[in-house]
Amino acid sequence: MPEPVVIQCREVSFLYPNGVQAIHNISLSIYRGDYIAFVGQNGSGKTTLVKHFNGLLKPSSGSVTVFGEETRDKKVSYLSRKVGYVFQNPDDMLFSSSVADEIAYGPRMLKVDPEQVSAKVESILQELDLINLRDIHPFALSLGDRQRLAVACALSLDPEVFVFDEPTTGQDFFGSQSIMGLIDELHQKGKTVIIITHDMPIVAEHAQRVIVMNKGEIALEGSPQEVFSQVEKLQSLSLKAPQVTLLARALGESSRTILHIPEMVDWLQARLPVSVKPGEELTHV
Amino acid sequence: MFSVSLKSLNSPLQKLDGRTKLIFLAVIFILVLLFTDLLYITALLALVLAAWFIAKLPTQPLKEMMQFFLWIAVIILIVQVFFYPGTTNLVHISKPVPAIGFSGYLTLEGILFGLAMVLRLVVIMIVAPLMVMTTPLPELMLALVKLKIPYKFAFIMTTALSLLPSIQNRSAIIQQAQLCRGISYDSGGKFITKLKASVSLLIPLILGAFRDSQTLEVAMNSRAFGAPIKRTFLLESRFTPVDILVIAGAFMLLTVGVMLRIQGFGVY
Amino acid sequence: MQPLIEFQHVTYAYSKASNPAIKDISFSVEKGEFIALIGPSGAGKSTLCYCFNGSIPQLFGGTMSGNLQIAGCDPFQDGTPVLAQHVGLVVQNARTQLFNVSVIQEVGFGCENLGLPREEILKRVSGALEFVGLTGFEDREPGALSGGQQQRLAIACVLAMNPEILVLDEPTSELDPIGGEQVMEVIARLNRELGKTIILVTHDMDFVAKYADRVLLLCDGSLLMNDAPQKIFSNFELLKSARIRPPQVCEIMHNLRENGYHLPDFPITLEGTLQVLKEMQYA
Repeated sequence: MPEPVVIQCREVSFLYPNGVQAIHNISLSIYRGDYIAFVGQNGSGKTTLVKHFNGLLKPSSGSVTVFGEETRDKKVSYLSRKVGYVFQNPDDMLFSSSVADEIAYGPRMLKVDPEQVSAKVESILQELDLINLRDIHPFALSLGDRQRLAVACALSLDPEVFVFDEPTTGQDFFGSQSIMGLIDELHQKGKTVIIITHDMPIVAEHAQRVIVMNKGEIALEGSPQEVFSQVEKLQSLSLKAPQVTLLARALGESSRTILHIPEMVDWLQARLPVSVKPGEELTHV
Repeated sequence: MFSVSLKSLNSPLQKLDGRTKLIFLAVIFILVLLFTDLLYITALLALVLAAWFIAKLPTQPLKEMMQFFLWIAVIILIVQVFFYPGTTNLVHISKPVPAIGFSGYLTLEGILFGLAMVLRLVVIMIVAPLMVMTTPLPELMLALVKLKIPYKFAFIMTTALSLLPSIQNRSAIIQQAQLCRGISYDSGGKFITKLKASVSLLIPLILGAFRDSQTLEVAMNSRAFGAPIKRTFLLESRFTPVDILVIAGAFMLLTVGVMLRIQGFGVY
Repeated sequence: MQPLIEFQHVTYAYSKASNPAIKDISFSVEKGEFIALIGPSGAGKSTLCYCFNGSIPQLFGGTMSGNLQIAGCDPFQDGTPVLAQHVGLVVQNARTQLFNVSVIQEVGFGCENLGLPREEILKRVSGALEFVGLTGFEDREPGALSGGQQQRLAIACVLAMNPEILVLDEPTSELDPIGGEQVMEVIARLNRELGKTIILVTHDMDFVAKYADRVLLLCDGSLLMNDAPQKIFSNFELLKSARIRPPQVCEIMHNLRENGYHLPDFPITLEGTLQVLKEMQYA
């Protein structure tokens, strides 16, 4: 049985005040439990579209509904309780004097009962492994921890859907793994996850659904398998498939798209003659 | 608010040398401080507004400024009404309060003086942006340097202005990020809430500005800023006959103004 | 011939810091080399970049020990304006390092500061803009350009001062793929066509594998390795401890090697891998 729709876009267009048409007639359904990556060049409209999901932008024409409600007349602060949005730079969101205070801010603004606020803060601190940092000033945290904190703040409003804007941009390998691990965890807990990114290997390794945007329209859509198999089309959009995919292609694999390293290793081992280290006997063929 | 696309204006004020405009600015400043008579101040205001329209600048920034200034204007008016020792009594307010010099009456002189104070500020608030909006920053900087202001100082002043748009940009992004945290900036909330919301906006903004300023310092120094060498300026500026005319006119105005003032005109 | 850049046992701690940001760093760079500086966040790569043009110690203060020589200049004695003529520095965030109102003013800024004659400045500005592909942008506002254009503009700004050395600190990490590629293209050409010595901090290991002559691996302030890319990307224990992920092809070949396959060579690029696999099929 298909999952219920959480976000629905019907022929959504958006025109910036300066006349630039950022997105044009987009229709799209996002289902509960989706793990979607929006990719595309700067100016493709991916960020513009996703900002409609929590009301930061309202459609110039068409409609966007979130959990059945039209976004047009809803405030961002209201929609943030359904769709959490984590910006690329955590420093834009942080301003309290301690980690615990920062997490408590959102629920307090919503006039949640103080006892419930404390309980919620405790559980989020545990969940995101921030318990040892609860009294530390946000600015004293490392970048990775500040990112976790930003996620914690979004989590404090209990949304069902999470949007991550460029979660790995500007990070080293370890930092990317860390934030993606966190995002995967949220998804495993049943949240619907949307990421906007340029990082194609990340998309190949984590996303379950890929939407490629170009010039304000959806150019490609499907599973990572389906999308990355279209190497030429991606190239025309100035996007590159991961190196492992390109390697498989170059070696003549055309029936399927290889996205992961172990897969590639297996594929190669099936085709290479068994090699023996000098001095060792061949025990089986 | 003050970012205007200079190329599209093509007004006579643009063609003036930066130094001419700075001299005009200085003369207006001095005159406005010399006089307290409403009539004289109004004349200066008319001159400055005329310049604004000759420069073909939009009226929107003027309106925004006036809206912002309205509250301050009212306060100044009220203060002057109470404190100014007027003689022509108009309306009886209350018992006299000798301690602050209040005669108990709303006086004509008080109102006139109050208005003059307000308009003095208005003149200054109009003429400064007038200069900035009609002079591209490199020209402004060159003008300051040619008027013997040290380069580093002139640079700091003009660069601060050029960074305003990027601060505005950042502010918009921070506001968006904070909306997503459930903060509301718009009206329909207690004043305290709105104040808190402004603080939450300022902290990331100021911190970001600090960090950026450090990067900026490195970038500037990496391009030999402050080298102990006579600096070349790509931009050139020369006086035209129109410049000479305007400068001469400004000095004449100044001379007339000073003479009038010495003779006791223009003040109550 | 004396190396262009020489660091000998350089240690530096920011003022008020309890630990040094870089410890006992020694290496040298020859003219025309393309050096990649890699390592996890916080390893001290940016700090090291600031040492190349005198920003450290002159702007940042702090305590520095050891000997260093950059293009014959002494960062302790020679002022930053002198070093600026030999070393051009481009930082990560393109927007922050641009502060003039027009492209032409921005690119000419450095030359103006050096007091060069006006005609010379105009010549250098148009040359630099041409090299980075921004001819025709002279009157545009730097703030209105795209990220990739801004970064190329930043490169033009230092290029106009004609330094032998260019240091670039993660120039593409905040850019989209097209913008990033255009910038990397310019950097490669700076080395290939103009013979500039390049020090590039990056997380793009595919690019490092393709272009770098040598890799400096920095971790926790120390220089763990100073060798050709091939040596670095085939050393998996090192990569793991330094939390570096090599190009995907390296991981694949490493796995094959672990599983008993004999590799005639260890490739680090896609093309190299195709070559090696061909040899292995017919072994």
